[in-house]
Amino acid sequence: MNVLLQVLINGILFGSMYGVAAIGLSLIFGTMRIIFLAQGTIMVLFAYLTYFLFTLAGVDPYLSILIGIPIAFGCGLGVFYVLFKEAAALEDKNVSLLLAVGLMYMVDNLMLNIWGATPRYAATSYSSFTLRIGEINISFQRLMALVIALAAASIVYWFLKNTRLGTAVRAASEDMVSTTLLGISSNWVMAIAFGLGLALAGTAGVVMASVYSFDPNYGFPFALKALVALTLGGIGNVWGALAAGVLLGVVENLATYYIGAGWADAISYAAFILVLIFLPYGLFGRRGVVKKV
Amino acid sequence: MENNLLEVRDLSVSYGDVQALWDVSLEVREAQIVALVGSNGAGKSTLLKTISGLLHPRHGQIIFAGEDLGGLSPKHRVDRGVVQVPEGRRLFQNLTVLENLKLGAYLPRARAKYAESLERVFTLFPILKERANNKAGLLSGGEQQMLAIARAVMAQPRLVMIDEASLGLSPIFTKIIFDLIVALNQQGTTVLLVEQNVHMALKICHYAYVLKTGHVVMSGPGEQLAADEELRKAYVGERAVRAVRGKVE
Amino acid sequence: MSKTGVEAGRWAKLRPTNMISAAVAFVVLVVAFTLPFFVDVDKSYLGYFIFITCIYLTVAQGWNLVAGYTGQISLGQNAFFGLGAYTMAELWLHGIGLWFFFDVTLMIAAGIAPAILAIIVGIPLLSRLKGDYFSFGTLGLGMIIKVLFVKGGTVTGGANGVYLDSTRFTSMHVYYWCALFLAVFATFLVYALTRSRIGLALKAIREDDISAASHGINVLKYKVFAFAVAAFLAGVAGSIFGYYQFHITPDSVFSMNWLFYPILVVVLGGTGTVIGPIIGAFIVSGLFAYGDIYFGGYHPVVSGMLIILVMRFMPDGIMGIVSKTSGRLLGRAKHAVPSGM
Repeated sequence: MNVLLQVLINGILFGSMYGVAAIGLSLIFGTMRIIFLAQGTIMVLFAYLTYFLFTLAGVDPYLSILIGIPIAFGCGLGVFYVLFKEAAALEDKNVSLLLAVGLMYMVDNLMLNIWGATPRYAATSYSSFTLRIGEINISFQRLMALVIALAAASIVYWFLKNTRLGTAVRAASEDMVSTTLLGISSNWVMAIAFGLGLALAGTAGVVMASVYSFDPNYGFPFALKALVALTLGGIGNVWGALAAGVLLGVVENLATYYIGAGWADAISYAAFILVLIFLPYGLFGRRGVVKKV
Repeated sequence: MENNLLEVRDLSVSYGDVQALWDVSLEVREAQIVALVGSNGAGKSTLLKTISGLLHPRHGQIIFAGEDLGGLSPKHRVDRGVVQVPEGRRLFQNLTVLENLKLGAYLPRARAKYAESLERVFTLFPILKERANNKAGLLSGGEQQMLAIARAVMAQPRLVMIDEASLGLSPIFTKIIFDLIVALNQQGTTVLLVEQNVHMALKICHYAYVLKTGHVVMSGPGEQLAADEELRKAYVGERAVRAVRGKVE
Repeated sequence: MSKTGVEAGRWAKLRPTNMISAAVAFVVLVVAFTLPFFVDVDKSYLGYFIFITCIYLTVAQGWNLVAGYTGQISLGQNAFFGLGAYTMAELWLHGIGLWFFFDVTLMIAAGIAPAILAIIVGIPLLSRLKGDYFSFGTLGLGMIIKVLFVKGGTVTGGANGVYLDSTRFTSMHVYYWCALFLAVFATFLVYALTRSRIGLALKAIREDDISAASHGINVLKYKVFAFAVAAFLAGVAGSIFGYYQFHITPDSVFSMNWLFYPILVVVLGGTGTVIGPIIGAFIVSGLFAYGDIYFGGYHPVVSGMLIILVMRFMPDGIMGIVSKTSGRLLGRAKHAVPSGM
């Protein structure tokens, strides 16, 4: 029973990372209608950044968040304006999809060549710190991951609901033409969404570096899981994406424990396809949100 | 060209190889209601999209308040006061009425007058005040149309271009909307009205243009066109005209 | 990746050009097929180069059919490729077939198995999922298939894969000709399909599938058909590749490379055109031939960069540029591009 609880909790804590990445995907998809498959790759990139900041400059990973997030956001703006701006305006969304794929392919292999495939992990002095609640061990770092995930989701949610720009992003996700007709620059809105999306990937990456080990091959599968979480959670739903990520983490962990690691992946993908087919709005998706085709 | 707020000169627009507008010219005088009528596919929406900056013309000019809009982004056009109420309303369904209105006043110039605009909008459309915190998608068709127009008003427009205001509305609501458009105009806002509902459009407008497959085929003061046989025949149909004539005249 | 296909089709109807391209194609084919007689394909790299180019081209034309002509981006071609390789291998190992090595029946079976899978999976995926969602579905499919084979234990040989009798290898000739034949077949198949009524329906679907449906076109049937054809081609290509490798593992045949390289081939050449992938295949192949030498392990980075550059600056591919240039030469009016929103 306690083992089960342990597995569950670990699943929740890990799944929150899927959730954070999924929120990022949601923002990007909502405004640009593209699935940014390179989300996992970006996460790994920032994990490396954090790792090197730690091992080479002694910067504590949690401090790296303050550095990493603005950089990620800036990168997002840059990548949008340089690469995606034209493609986003095209009717053919496949161009953007392939752009993301190309980016992922390029960065993944770049990292693989430069840093190799050995797993890295930023082992801080408090890495092994665990809290004991009864019979259950909760790693302090993993708990922090969940806390950060919740914080990130809250900030994004607050931004979307309470700021002018955030409302514009929500509007653009619904109807870009209408938004443009109100004089709101569509490029700017998309760039912001893209920047936020990457910032969230960066957040997940920074957290990942000190909590779980990673390597360049990790990026793509992670992006897929984030995508699964996005689909489960319903597009445009910040808390839904987070919750779905957590759910996915739990399911995955349970599957890994009881069935085996390889199968866990297959189960996630199978669940993904089933949800795509039978629950187009995801588990928590909103009624009335037009699912763009 | 005194008092011409908007002037379209020899505008030609194509979608790829397909030409949609051929040398279209029209004028909208300040403080007038100008109607642009024509059947489906005549190019009316294309014209509005081009004026708003969503489409680039092959050639021709769009002059607004003496300034050539060519090359200006949609954002700059809205900033200068050219605001469109698009066909089908295109409200943000999941956002509240108030949020929709706020977005209307997004640009700095409009934002500065936010409170004032909101006041004006709530006076013109009291139902929106009641529904301020409801999601736009839950409003009725007529209320949604009001919101769409109100949202445009929030942008402090000099020219409001309304695309198919009566689409999907019951006759009662159509009348209400058109009355509101007249009221808006009487407050000084210039209106370019694109309509399939020829009858109502001609009734309230000062001047009208008829668009047919991308060409301006007729133009003139509203009442003159309303009485025009040719026009009636084209839109109402020969038989119907004869039937009406037989019964009434 | 827009309406280039339609334009290229219209453009190709010009009589003199038609004759010239047919003549050129004929000459090229003759040279290609007789090459082994005057170049030693076993010793020179040229033999392998053309072999692997043809493999890419075959998978690419299949993907082209689905993506370029129906507008659906499939990200699961590697699954069909690998399935084809394994089908051939398993049949050989279990003694089913005629002469096993380059056995026509095995190769056809290697194409049919993935095609059947494509139909089974394609019906729910294509009927329910549109655009991006379909792409993910195929992506997920690819992932699942790979895992199934890795976990296949004794049936599939697991992660170590299966071994075929490599003593059957005699010379590159058979590889060269089979791959070439397959690539030519694939190209002609796609060409013939697109010129047929089926092709018309596919293009209609690509442009506006709702409108196509309202004209009585059974959209699902055509989409599944294209999907299955692509799977068939990928599967046969996979089997030939399997004959080359003799050792089939999940990593080698389900590798994402078999997904991305064909896509790159098509996209570089021009999606929705028939000649585009041919050009693309040679360029991509050439890149790898030299990439290995000049860029070493970095050549996937280069291909990634290439995909980015092509999608960013010439999303219509090389054929797109050719079409635009010839359009201007032929005095076609410039298009008024709707401004982005």
